[in-house]
Amino acid sequence: MLRKELIKLDADVENSEEALRMMAEMFVQEGAAKPSYPDAIIAREAQYPTALPAEAFDIAIPHTFAEHVNEPAMGICVLKNPVEFKQMGSPEITLHPQLLFMLAITDPKDQITLLRKIMKLIQNADALKQIKEADSVDEIYSIVNPLLF
Amino acid sequence: MGKRKAIKLLTVCGSGIVTSSMLANKLTDMFEEEGYEVTAMEANPSELATYIAREKYDLVAYASPINEEDLAGTPALPAIGLITGLGDEEFLEQALEIFKAAGK
Repeated sequence: MLRKELIKLDADVENSEEALRMMAEMFVQEGAAKPSYPDAIIAREAQYPTALPAEAFDIAIPHTFAEHVNEPAMGICVLKNPVEFKQMGSPEITLHPQLLFMLAITDPKDQITLLRKIMKLIQNADALKQIKEADSVDEIYSIVNPLLF
Repeated sequence: MGKRKAIKLLTVCGSGIVTSSMLANKLTDMFEEEGYEVTAMEANPSELATYIAREKYDLVAYASPINEEDLAGTPALPAIGLITGLGDEEFLEQALEIFKAAGK
């Protein structure tokens, strides 16, 4: 589910759209998502933002409809500098996520255990801080992967 | 032991899939622990009015903006705090009050 190829450290981006496109294109490259995925991720984020004020710091969980997805996958992006996202449920609130957890979900019923673990991860301030401070893709993978099972 | 009281919940998020599934799952656990028998359905904001017209829900938990009139009087609470985990207690307290007021 979590793939090393979908983990990006030190992402140097100007704005949320650039961050989303960069991540989403990695999903397409890896075959986890269809070519329509990047535009769909960006459009959905504009309509229904996904940033959350987690206990550790702001994060976001960009995702879109299953029709743009080939197989379930999760990617992690550590932003070099936080960029502006809108808060889920309250688009009038601006947040500054430092981590993005991008999700490719095909069937939420099927992947409910995973969604449950991801929610636990969002609430795990220690893990989020470790991810942000990590020096390598392998390190992030070894922090997060055990938490998804 | 008395019969467990049944409650029906509707969770709402932008796509009606990912976040509402997380919420439905969490709320089911949360209220089963409180002794309720829980049914949770998921919808997106544009489906809300249809769901409400079709069935009676005890509570709507929403993670995306919704139209007040779509609720047709159904009690509703914002649910972002459940995803971050920072608003669990507040949500639980308010929801239990709503259920009690409805005799559940």
